[in-house]
Amino acid sequence: MRDQVIEDTLPADSIAADVALAASGDASAFERLYRTHVARVHSLVRRMLDADEADDLTQDVFVRAWEKLSTFRGESAFATWLHRLAVNVVLGRRKTLGVERGRFHGGEDPLEGVSGRRETPEMSMDFEDALARLPDGARQVFVLHDVEGYRHEEIARMLGVVPGTSKSQLHHARMALRRYLDR
Amino acid sequence: MNDQWTDRLSEYVDGELASGERTALEAHLATCAECRATLEELRRVVARAKALEDRAPKADLWAGVAKRIGSGQVVDIRSRRRFSFSVPQLIAASIALILLSGSGMWLALRSRQTATRTPRPDAEWQVLNVSTRRTDAAIADLQEVFERNKSRLDTSTVRVVQQAFTTIDRAIAEARAALEADPGNAYLNLHLADTMRRKLELLRRVNAIAAAQS
Repeated sequence: MRDQVIEDTLPADSIAADVALAASGDASAFERLYRTHVARVHSLVRRMLDADEADDLTQDVFVRAWEKLSTFRGESAFATWLHRLAVNVVLGRRKTLGVERGRFHGGEDPLEGVSGRRETPEMSMDFEDALARLPDGARQVFVLHDVEGYRHEEIARMLGVVPGTSKSQLHHARMALRRYLDR
Repeated sequence: MNDQWTDRLSEYVDGELASGERTALEAHLATCAECRATLEELRRVVARAKALEDRAPKADLWAGVAKRIGSGQVVDIRSRRRFSFSVPQLIAASIALILLSGSGMWLALRSRQTATRTPRPDAEWQVLNVSTRRTDAAIADLQEVFERNKSRLDTSTVRVVQQAFTTIDRAIAEARAALEADPGNAYLNLHLADTMRRKLELLRRVNAIAAAQS
C-alpha cells in the first residue's frame, strides 16, 4: 500500500518519536508529522471530493488526528492510521452533503458531454481532471479501489452499499476513464 | 459495441471471476477484437491509477491547523536556521530546557501525589501501558542512532549528554519503582510518561545536532 512508502522513506524511529511527542502535546512534533503526510492526505481528499473543499477537509483531518492521537496504539503504521482517519472524515463529509443519494446509478458514460474532451493527445483531458468529473459514487469507489487499494467488501462497508454495487461502479468509472488515458 | 462480456471485463482484470466464467471469457476474447482492446484499456486505467502521484496543497495549511489545535507556535522551518549557536551551546540549552521542565513537573506531581490517589480505569491504564511500551521502543531506536553518531560530537559534549541521560534514566527508574508499589497512581503514571517523553525529546534533538555535523 502507498502508506508503506511514506513509512519507508523516513526512519521509523523518527516517525515513532514524533508520534509519541505529539501524543503528549508537542505541537512541533505534530507539525513534522503534518509536513510528512500532508501531500498524501490532501491528494486523497481532493480525489474523493471537490478540489475546492480539499484544503478545509485536509485541515479537518489533521485536527481530528491531533484529537485522537492518544487512541493510536501503534498496531499499524501511523500513515495507515492517518489515512483511514482521512477516509472517515471524507465519508462523514459526504454524508453531510447528502451526495450519496442517487449518485450510485450513473449512466453508461458518466463523462459524456464533458467539455474539453478530445481524441488527440495534446488536447486530452488530464486524468485527474477526468476523475474529478465522475459521478461521486463512481469516483469514490474508483479512488478507494484502484488508487488506495481497498477491497470491494471494505468499500461496501464504508459506503453502505453491497459489494456488487461497488464492482459495478468501479467498472463504470474505468470504462469512462479509459478515453482519457495519455495516448 | 457492448456485448454480454463487456461488463465482466473489470472483474476479469481484478481476478474476481470464477474459473468457469474466466474460461468462457477467455474463449470469447480469442474471437472478439473489440473486447480485447477494451480489456487492454481497462488495464491501462488501473495502471494509471496506481501511478498517480500525491501532490501537496498549493497553500500551506499548517497555520490553520495550528490555530485550531490551540498551538501558538507556527514555526516556519525555513527560518529556523537564522541564528547560529555552537553545538555545545545547542545541546546545553536542550538539556537545561528538558531537565528544568522535568523538575517542575516532578515537584508539581509530588505535591499533588500525597493528596489524591485515584485508581486509573482499566481502559486508560491499558492505553498508557501501550503508549509506554511504544515510547520504550522509540527511545531504544533513538539511543541506537545516538550510539552510531556520537563520534561526530566532541568528547566533552558526549559526556554532558550522557550525564543528562543518567539523570533522566534515574528519574524513569524511580518512577517505575514507585509505580510497582502503587500501580494505580495516576500522577506517577503521568510522571513516568512525561519523563520518558523528555528523554525522547533530548535524544531527538541531540541526534539532529549530531546528524547536522556530518
